[in-house]
Amino acid sequence: MHVMLMYVISHLGLIFFMYPGNVISSTEQGHWLPVLLGVVIHFIFINIYMKGLSYFPKKDIIRIYAGIGKGTAILFIAPVFLYFSMILLITLRAYAEIITIVFLSKTPLWAIMLLLISISTYIAAKGVETIFRTGLLLSLLFLPIIIFIFFTSFQNVDWRYVVPLDADLGFIIKRTYLESFFAFSGGFLFLGFVQPYFSYDRKYILWAAAFLIPFFLFSVYIPVLTFGQATSATTFLPYVVAVDAININWLMFDRVTMFFLLSLISFIMLYLALVSWKAIRILSHYLPSIKPVKLLLALAAAVYIACFFIPDWKDVEKLFWWNTFLRFYILIAIPFSLFFFGRCMKRKGIDESI
Amino acid sequence: MDRFINEIKAELGNNGDFHLQRDYLADAAVMLLGFNTLIDFIKTRTVLHKHAESILLQNQPSEDLWGAIGELMEGDVLKAISSIYEGKLIIHFENTSRFIIMEPVPAMLDRSIDSPTNENVIQGALDSFTEGIDINIGIVRKLVNSDEIRIDSFSAGRSRKNKLSLLYIDGQADIELVNSIRNHIEKNIQMEAYNLQGLAKMLGFPSWNAISKFNTTELPHHAVQNLRKGKVILFVDRLPFALILPSLFWDMFAAENDRNFPLPIMLAIRLIRIIGILITLITPGLYVALVSVNPEVLQIQLALSVAQSREGVPYPALAEIIFMLLILELILEASVRLPKSIGPTITMVGGIILGQAAVEAKLVSNLLIIILAATTIANSTIVGFQNSVSIRLFKYAIVILGAIFGILGLVAGLVFLSAYLASLNTYGKSYLYLNVKGNENNGG
Amino acid sequence: MNPYNLKSKAPITVCLLLTVMILTGCWDIRDINHRTLPVVLGISTIEDDQYKVFLKIPEPVEGSMEVKIVSATGETISHAVDVISRNMETSVDLLHVKVIMIERKTAEEGMKDIIAGFMRSREVSSKALVTICDQNMDEFFSKLSESKNLKGTNMFDYFEKNAGWNPEIALTRIWEVYRSIHSYTRDVAIPLIVTGDTTTYEQVGSAVIKNGKMVEQISNDETLLFNAFNDESTHGQIEVLNHASVMIIGNSMNHHTDLTDKQPVLQSRINLKVVVLETRGKTSSDMIKKELSHLLSSRFSSMLANLQESEADILGLGQLYRTKIDRNELKNWRSVYYPNLKSDIQFQIDIQNEGYLRTT
Repeated sequence: MHVMLMYVISHLGLIFFMYPGNVISSTEQGHWLPVLLGVVIHFIFINIYMKGLSYFPKKDIIRIYAGIGKGTAILFIAPVFLYFSMILLITLRAYAEIITIVFLSKTPLWAIMLLLISISTYIAAKGVETIFRTGLLLSLLFLPIIIFIFFTSFQNVDWRYVVPLDADLGFIIKRTYLESFFAFSGGFLFLGFVQPYFSYDRKYILWAAAFLIPFFLFSVYIPVLTFGQATSATTFLPYVVAVDAININWLMFDRVTMFFLLSLISFIMLYLALVSWKAIRILSHYLPSIKPVKLLLALAAAVYIACFFIPDWKDVEKLFWWNTFLRFYILIAIPFSLFFFGRCMKRKGIDESI
Repeated sequence: MDRFINEIKAELGNNGDFHLQRDYLADAAVMLLGFNTLIDFIKTRTVLHKHAESILLQNQPSEDLWGAIGELMEGDVLKAISSIYEGKLIIHFENTSRFIIMEPVPAMLDRSIDSPTNENVIQGALDSFTEGIDINIGIVRKLVNSDEIRIDSFSAGRSRKNKLSLLYIDGQADIELVNSIRNHIEKNIQMEAYNLQGLAKMLGFPSWNAISKFNTTELPHHAVQNLRKGKVILFVDRLPFALILPSLFWDMFAAENDRNFPLPIMLAIRLIRIIGILITLITPGLYVALVSVNPEVLQIQLALSVAQSREGVPYPALAEIIFMLLILELILEASVRLPKSIGPTITMVGGIILGQAAVEAKLVSNLLIIILAATTIANSTIVGFQNSVSIRLFKYAIVILGAIFGILGLVAGLVFLSAYLASLNTYGKSYLYLNVKGNENNGG
Repeated sequence: MNPYNLKSKAPITVCLLLTVMILTGCWDIRDINHRTLPVVLGISTIEDDQYKVFLKIPEPVEGSMEVKIVSATGETISHAVDVISRNMETSVDLLHVKVIMIERKTAEEGMKDIIAGFMRSREVSSKALVTICDQNMDEFFSKLSESKNLKGTNMFDYFEKNAGWNPEIALTRIWEVYRSIHSYTRDVAIPLIVTGDTTTYEQVGSAVIKNGKMVEQISNDETLLFNAFNDESTHGQIEVLNHASVMIIGNSMNHHTDLTDKQPVLQSRINLKVVVLETRGKTSSDMIKKELSHLLSSRFSSMLANLQESEADILGLGQLYRTKIDRNELKNWRSVYYPNLKSDIQFQIDIQNEGYLRTT
């Protein structure tokens, strides 16, 4: 239950911001194909990943790799750690920037980043159970808002923009499309970290992933249906602009976007907490002499300071692009290697028992 | 005068209420010792004599009588003294070192079982716990009426022993929880536990918790219902309420008495409490955020009327709201302090006159007054006074964050609060559990 | 399990919070009563490509709302607003601008940049309405400020759907105009407003905007058809005929499209439900039906002919052909297909009831 919710929450936070823009600019028509392709790849890899994990009951991936050998640990764990730090850095910087663009134009970036990172560090410091329970509370508070606004965002939709439906595969090599995978690959690794604390049923995770499909699809299609492809390709955050066009007379608030975005931002805070917790798990496994809280504070401080070396959005995008390679490495290598090692282990186990 | 009496006298003689009386029981000369403030001497003597007579009439040896009256001891002066302090009567045989510790007829120092004063009950049982721990346990026993109830008693403290009792239902309560509470009490038996802070220290709870780990209640029904659900009750002598452990988040919304209403109404009542807590937390922060950081969220008409109502207010919204919240807290605190007959006057002066005058004098906007009123009223819907106090505290954090970051701050505050609540646990029982059995499908 | 021990962290957190609190003064948070919240933003161009910006600001004065009108010029709109803000005692926030008014001259020259600017900054909500002032803007606003019944948000109320809106007024928001600039198949109509003689405003028709430029003008009656076509409600609209007047209480439509050899053909049926209000002389319901259907279809076809001439597709007819025309070809919809469009519009009239009286 918790794992499922957490899975949904961390993906929701990632979906609605950059993902639609990336997909829309990757192809001119038939956006369902890139979305669907992403979803299918996502499904395949989480399946392999979970299958691989199931060979090692009650173990998190750090212990699994460490158990296999030093070489593999360095080969896989080091990139994962690097990847986590990159995610922290990029997410923090990007979302702070989005916040200033969307609603706090006068507030300095450092203050917003400080707020985001201190809250997520606080949550991460309290441990994984707190992260998951917070996820529960937050989804009770904010998920209704998100779903409500998600449905009202159909207000300005003109269904005739759906056509043309035919699509080609030209988008696959587009940079923006590859970047769009961050929405898929950002969240799933945590399944390998929670093992000793929470047990989950693979079926439920797949259900959660299935629950996300409409969100993936319509986060792209709502801007397309509202504005048409040509217009939405000119906007930076298409979904946000589309939600901005919602007009609800009877609400005492004028800009519902704000509530939608903030609910998502709250999920992002939690996501950051989760990522930093994972990073700290890796660090403290190799540096057991230092207290995890100190490591966490150091990591948060490092990320915070590193954010100041990213002067503008162009650099964020550059980082984002660099990180794409790492992301694909993680997305492909980790599930497959786990699966592979798991199979080996099993076979060996059978041999030994004979 | 023998040595025994002298020793006791030396110890207790400077107490004005120390009473020493000579008497004859079954032709033995005895001294009755005790505090006449704790013991009803006249009644005790009557009982004693009647007892003696009935035994003697049956021609039993007087040794039997001594055994029937109380505990027969020899020589232990310290024990005698501490018994006297505990309110026992000492019957000393002259010129021996033997004495009897007897349970006397106590002076009437406890109030009788009364209707609850801090928690109101509509359509429900009206008895409540009192200060006497034995009475309280008795009430609980009467309600539970089962052979599965377990009562562990401790007396804690260094100089003055205070009685503690741990009640749970065998088979319902989580045995780990019971054991860890018991271990903590036994380990810290020397600590003083007259109040909740002391008790929290004794049980090893961090003292900086903003939310009380105990769910206190005056209502036996509430307590017993929790007992049946597998929670543990702790009674402390002289505290007129039951401490229910562990305290859960859901307890803020659910009162046992709700079940005396039909189900839809119960659900509606609880929904209102949930809305109440949200309003308490959000509205003051929302006001600050909307007025000073994100006015674009308001509809234009609303924005204009807010602007109009704030016209001429000399300080920023944060100062305004903190100032008014502070006054409100003062009123609340004052009405607790004041005698019941003056309380309403203060409410009137504070609420109506001060509020109205503050608006008239353009010190605060009248929208703020409405918001404060809503907040205070909403705050009172929460079950359990100690819970509503905690929520009152959290709202300040949200107000400050809202003033800095606008609505983002508001949301950040809520996230922070959620994380805080999520991180609380009592001996491994998370604060967010719906019940003690560890099911987290939370409803609030 | 390792829930990290955080006892020592509580004071640190408190200190952090305190520092943040102290640092809050660093950026300017302005209370709402120190902000000026204009409701209407008027834009016109003057010589040397300068914008002249008008702001209509509701001002709370002693329990009622007065209206103030200020103006300034600048190279860009934001610059002009900045000039106003500098000269005013409170700072100007465009957050609550609900109506953007553009002078006709400016609109004819093109307003792509203006609209894109509003979309970009996000300060002005993309839900703000766009109107065109068919009058010199100086004159318009000076007349407005003389007018007595100018209170609070009345310009906004004029368009508000639950207040003064009526189906002859085109409701077009910034994002729709922006969409029309980029879309291949969709243009918009914007209301043309002047100051009225007895009422504060008067709509003289609607401007047809194509690619951010005003190219054509349609009348109020035609605007009604435009609204009906775009599924805005036409409820309560009164149509006057030679022999009767009726009230429209409902409309629905369906289209049948065909494309043969770059020649789009459109067959539409629009169903109107009406209630008879007044009759003149001997009138039967058949007559009313016929007359109304004739009136509307001739009005419609003349409007469409006009629009086709100026290649502006405000009815969004191109949307109907999205399934039939390839996307690359769709780019040429306005220039190649649309002018050749043949239409056959039929109005089906249902008289729902005739009030308390019977008509034969």
